Amino acid sequence: MLLELRAVSRRFGGLQAVADLTMTVAAGTIHGLIGPNGAGKSTVFNLITGVIPLTAGEILFKRERISGLPPSEICRRGVARTFQATALFREYTVLQNVLVGAHLLAAPGLLSMLLGSGPARERERRARDRGRGLLESLGLGAVASHVAGQLPHRDQKALALAMALATGAELVILDEPLAGLTDQEKADTIGVLRRLREQGLTVLLVEHDMRAVMGVCDTVTVLDHGVRIAEGTPREIQTNAAVIEAYLGAEEPGA
Amino acid sequence: MPAEPRRAAAPIAGVAAVALAAAALPLLTRDPYYLDVATTILMNLTLTMSFRLQVSTGQINMAHISFMGIGAYASALLVTRAGLSFWATLWIGALVAALLAVPIGSVALRVSGPYYFLITFAFSEVVRLFFNNFFENLFGGPSGLVGIPKPGRLFGLVFDSKLALYWLMAAISVVVVLALVRLDASRFGLVAGAIRQADLVAGTLGVNVFRYKLTAFVLGSFVAGLAGVFFAHYRQVLHSSDFGLEPMVLLVVFAVIGGTGSVWGPVVGTIVMTVASELLRELHHYEILVFGAVLILTMLFAPEGLVALPGALRRVLARSPGRAAAPTGGGVAP
Repeated sequence: MLLELRAVSRRFGGLQAVADLTMTVAAGTIHGLIGPNGAGKSTVFNLITGVIPLTAGEILFKRERISGLPPSEICRRGVARTFQATALFREYTVLQNVLVGAHLLAAPGLLSMLLGSGPARERERRARDRGRGLLESLGLGAVASHVAGQLPHRDQKALALAMALATGAELVILDEPLAGLTDQEKADTIGVLRRLREQGLTVLLVEHDMRAVMGVCDTVTVLDHGVRIAEGTPREIQTNAAVIEAYLGAEEPGA
Repeated sequence: MPAEPRRAAAPIAGVAAVALAAAALPLLTRDPYYLDVATTILMNLTLTMSFRLQVSTGQINMAHISFMGIGAYASALLVTRAGLSFWATLWIGALVAALLAVPIGSVALRVSGPYYFLITFAFSEVVRLFFNNFFENLFGGPSGLVGIPKPGRLFGLVFDSKLALYWLMAAISVVVVLALVRLDASRFGLVAGAIRQADLVAGTLGVNVFRYKLTAFVLGSFVAGLAGVFFAHYRQVLHSSDFGLEPMVLLVVFAVIGGTGSVWGPVVGTIVMTVASELLRELHHYEILVFGAVLILTMLFAPEGLVALPGALRRVLARSPGRAAAPTGGGVAP
């Protein structure tokens, strides 16, 4: 198991946002996390990536405990993420955005940055080449020198993914990667996710587009009011009575 | 919009221009008054540039001037009481400022935004009152610390004239400018700007935000300390008010008017505003009113500072505001 959540809980004052959640994400899979609004999906992402601390439980990545570590250290261990409201360095160019993501792989010491030493320059060039390659592979090659804040929504989404990938992460956590995209753009993104899986990457995603989730995920976990109510293959989830009851519901068939 | 604004600044050409300008000035005039103004510009420049280094990571450090004071008092006392040479205390004073910056920064940087602003402001008042009210036999109390000698000889060179001291400050400034410009063009500058724009995102991309901010804080304090040491032995008198709120506000005004989005903003701002301040000398205490008005006008009409004006004008003239209206760093951020 690449990622393990063991009895993870998070309480906000009187609200139990996540309760006693246990789930595992297998390496090399695309794992979906779904549930109605307010089910605690984004909170789970924030807990995994250290953005907010756990109230109880523990999280392991590659069998090592990552809960309690700061976000930067969790990223160093190999977990990167995107945010629901696409978060970028808006004043920077697309390439600069990716280079910030790639800084882990190229970070030279302060002194060599000041002196601009040979090895530092070499590492810098490698990071650039890698960044450009990554942008090409995500269809952003043509806009590499554009300012990120002015990109169309679709490109901003792709850039957020590129930044996460640039860190060299083994697990990328995507918060609604398809939100606001057209059908064609969704299909493209799903193609990218499949390709990443082929390359051995593991993806954990929150997504409201059920057709997409059921089509691309190997495993789906369903949350409701912070509690895990089901986990299984898309087929199992679609026929699970508890899920239909709590999530798909009678009023909203096929939502 | 150039392909990569941060790296397109041709850092070395800019540093060479500053060095040449500094070297050319004594050829034009050796009038002590102009040399004094030029020396003041160079001193202010190291302060505003090091302040901007901290701004570039999203921190508005209202205690920056205090670290200048710490360097100044440390050097003055080490020379007058311990008999050390200026050439040793130049580094020791700056190091004292940097070393004190480690614990102070570690505490202050636990918070951010307005809280950071307030905590550093409070600290600067504590430092000023400390120099003013405590250990009067050491710091000189309200009447100030007097009798600080000029720098001693170095390799047979004498530093007792305005011109010699100008050369010394020019040499210090060129080294500081070179270092800060290089740092800004390096990955450090890139990551610092990312932190300023979205620190949470930077964190989840593996950036140790606290360490970057602390590094900027300590490095900036070292440079401020360096400027402070020179100040002490240049003016030969220290008052606690030299490191109080008013000079601190002026420092912020200089940097913001020049533009904190670019490493060159504080250079432009400092030169323009120090010259303006000399021209407005007759106004005495009212000069701060003029500065305040200029600051407000800058915030309204050129929020990215004077340094961004040529680009903004070009965009207006090209009548394509939408195409290239990319902000390259919006004044004093968060």
